Amino acid sequence: MTASQEKVKVQYDDQIVRMFFHATLFWAFAAFTAGVWIAFELAVWQLNLNTEWLTFGRLRPLHTNAAIFAFAGNAIFAGIYHSSQRLLKTRMFSDMLSKIHFWGWQLIILAAAITLPLGFTQSKEYAELEWPIDIAVTLIWVIFAINFFGTLARRREKHMYVAIWFYIATIVTVAVLYIVNNIALPTSIAHSYPVYAGIQDALVQWWYGHNAVAFFLTTPFLGLMYYYVPKAANRPVYSYRLSIIHFWALIFIYIWAGPHHLLYTALPDWAQTLGMIFSIMLWAPSWGGMINGLLTLRGAWHLLRTDPVIKFMVAALTFYGMATFEGPLLSIKSVSALGHYTDWIVGHVHAGTLGWNGFLIFAMIYYLVPKLWKTELYSKKLATTHFWIGLLGTLLYYISMVVAGITQGGMWRAVNEQGQLVYPDFVETVTRIVPLYYVRGIGGALYLIGFLLLLYNVYKSISMATEKPTDEVAEVINTNVKSEDIGTGHRKLEGMATAFTVLTLIAILVGSVIEIIPTLSLHKYVRNDVQVEPWTPLELAGRDIYVREGCYTCHSQMIRKMPSEVLRYGPASTIEESMYNRPFQWGSKRTGPDLARVGGKYPVTWHYRHMINPREIVKDSIMPNYPWLATEKIDYYALRKKLSIMKYLGVPYDDDTVANADLVAGRQAQEIADGLIEFGAPEEVRNKEIIALISYLQALGQKGGLSEEDKEGGSE
Amino acid sequence: MKQEGLKFFSDIYLTNTALVLFFLVFLGVGFWVFRSGSKEHYKHMSQLPLKKDES
Repeated sequence: MTASQEKVKVQYDDQIVRMFFHATLFWAFAAFTAGVWIAFELAVWQLNLNTEWLTFGRLRPLHTNAAIFAFAGNAIFAGIYHSSQRLLKTRMFSDMLSKIHFWGWQLIILAAAITLPLGFTQSKEYAELEWPIDIAVTLIWVIFAINFFGTLARRREKHMYVAIWFYIATIVTVAVLYIVNNIALPTSIAHSYPVYAGIQDALVQWWYGHNAVAFFLTTPFLGLMYYYVPKAANRPVYSYRLSIIHFWALIFIYIWAGPHHLLYTALPDWAQTLGMIFSIMLWAPSWGGMINGLLTLRGAWHLLRTDPVIKFMVAALTFYGMATFEGPLLSIKSVSALGHYTDWIVGHVHAGTLGWNGFLIFAMIYYLVPKLWKTELYSKKLATTHFWIGLLGTLLYYISMVVAGITQGGMWRAVNEQGQLVYPDFVETVTRIVPLYYVRGIGGALYLIGFLLLLYNVYKSISMATEKPTDEVAEVINTNVKSEDIGTGHRKLEGMATAFTVLTLIAILVGSVIEIIPTLSLHKYVRNDVQVEPWTPLELAGRDIYVREGCYTCHSQMIRKMPSEVLRYGPASTIEESMYNRPFQWGSKRTGPDLARVGGKYPVTWHYRHMINPREIVKDSIMPNYPWLATEKIDYYALRKKLSIMKYLGVPYDDDTVANADLVAGRQAQEIADGLIEFGAPEEVRNKEIIALISYLQALGQKGGLSEEDKEGGSE
Repeated sequence: MKQEGLKFFSDIYLTNTALVLFFLVFLGVGFWVFRSGSKEHYKHMSQLPLKKDES
C-alpha cells in the first residue's frame, strides 16, 4: 500500500436501505396475497367474484410482476444499497438519485398494480407493462445505474468484491433485455404492438423471459448471497477462486438458454438445440455457486440449529440447487415434451422463487433488522416457526404441482392400442388435478402465514429500539483508487470498473447476437409457396380483447410437433401461421386446451354460450364466466390507427381496408350478430366485444399457413 | 449478408472450432485462477465483507 494511511469517517446512507426494506415488506404482502388468491381461483372458478378485474388472466400478470419487480426488486435494491456502500467503503454517489430511484420504482409498481387489472397489457410474460410504464422503468433503471457506477468511481477499496460483479452484471444485462424486448409502436397511450411478429416475438420474449430469471432473480441474489452468507456465518466464502469461475461461466452461458421455453414449437431446430445444450451446461456453474455458498458454512454448521438466519440461507441455497438441477432437466427435449404447458413448470418456478429468492430475502431481513434499527430480533423462536411453516408451504406447493404436471402431461399423451387418445376430452385431464390445486393453494397460504409472522417479528423488533435509527458511521482509510498501484491480471480487472463492465457486456452479448440476429431475418424461414391472410379488422379487435383478458395465461396457440398433439389438435403449427401476429400468443401454459386450430370447430352460438357460462357446455370446466364481453362495446374507432400501424409494420392490408377499418369490421360484426340472434341471443349483443372475440376465435387456424403436406398431419 | 452468415451454423468444422474454443477458454480460466502468487490476493478479497472499518 503506497497510498496515504490517513483515515476518514464515512457516513453510510442507511435511510435508503430502510426505505427499500419497508417497500419489500409491503409489496411482498401484495404479491403473496395475489398469488394465494389466483391459486384458489383455479380450484374455485367463482373466486373472480364475477368481475373482470379479478380474473386469473388479469391477476396472474399482477402476481408475477409484484413478486419479481416489487418484492424481489425492492429487496435487491435494499441489499445492494446496504452491501455496496460497505464493500466500496463510501456513501452512495447521490442521495438525490437514491431517492428518485426509490420513489420512481414505487410509482412504477403502483402504475402496474392499477393498469394490469384494467387489462392494459402487452401480454409478454414479465414484460406485460404498457409502453409509458416501460419508458419510466428504463429511466429509473438508468438513474440506478448512474448512482451505482458513481459510487463505484468514488470507492475507497480498490478491488471489487465478487458481489459487486454480480450487481454490475445485473444492471447492464437487465437494461439490454428490457429495452430490446419492449420495442413497440404505440396505437394509443395505453396500447401498442411490438415490432417483432410471431416467431421473432417468441424468441425475443423468451430470451428476455428466461434472462429475467437469470439476471433479476439469480445474479443479484448470488451477489447478495456472496455478501450476506459470509457475514452471517462470520467466515469468508469457501473459495474465492470458484466464485470467479462461477461468475464468468454463469453470465456467459445463461444468456443462451432462452429457447428451451420453445422446444418442439415452430422455432427452427438449431435454435432449440442451442437453447437445450446451453441449459444443460448451466448445471455446472449453478451448482458451483451453490456449493460455494453452502461450504462457506464449513466449521459453522452448529449455527444451523440455533440461528434462523442461517436456516433460511441454507434452505435457500438448497432450493437454488434443486431448481437449477431441475431446470436443465426440463430443458432436455424429451423431458420438456412431457412437462411443457403443465403445472410442473409452475412448480419448478415456485421452488426457485419461494424457496431460493423468498428464503434468501427473509434471511436478509432477519439479519438486517437488528443492524438497521440498532435493536435485537424480537423473537428467534418466532423466526424459526416462520421457517418451518414457510418450508412446509413451499414443499406442499412444489410437490402438488409436480404431481399435477406429470399426471396431466401423461394423460395428454396417453394413446391406446388403436392409436387413439385415451383422454380425448381435455376437461378430463383438468378435473383429475383440481384437488391438487387446493393443495397448492394451501401451500401458498402457509407461506403467506409464515410471512405474517415475519411482519409481526419485524414490527416488534423495531418498536424495541431505544433510539431513532441513524446512519452507520465507519472509519476507513482514505484511498484514492486512481493513484494506487494497479496490479496485474484479474486483479487489475477488479480494479477497473469500466473495463470489467464492458467485458461483462460482451459476455452476455455473444449469445444474444448469435441467437437473435438470424431470427430477425424471418423471410429465410417463411416458405414462399404458403399463403397467409392477415386478420380482418374485426378479428384484430377480437385478438386485442383476447390479449387484454390474458387468455394466453391458460390457453396456448402452438401445436407442438408431436404425435399426441397432432392427434388432439390437428397439424403442428407452422412459422407462417403466426407471421403477422403481434404480440405472438403461443402461450406457456395449458390450463385449458390449445386454441391454435379452434376456428370453425364449433358454431358461433357454441362460443357465445361458452363465454357467458362455460359450464353450460363443458360441465366440469374451471374457466370463469365472461359476461362483461356481452355488455362492453367494440372500440371501432381505434381500428384505423391499429391497422395503419400493422400495415406500417409490413402486414399486407390494402389502403381501402385501412381507411375503412371500422366500417369493414362493423359489417362482419353484423353478420355474426345476426347468426347469434337467430339462435336466441339477445338483440343487445350487436357490436359488443363478444362478437369481435368470437370472430377471432373462429378465424384461428383458418388463415392459411399450411402447405398441402402439413395438412396431411405433419408427415415430417 | 445475414443469410450468408447463417450458413455457418451448419458448418460442422466451424461449430466444432467454437466448441473447442469455448472449452479452452474455460480451461484457461481454471488454470489461471491458480496462478502462482494469487493465494494472498484471494485471501484479501474474501475477507472484504468481514472486515470492520480498519481495513
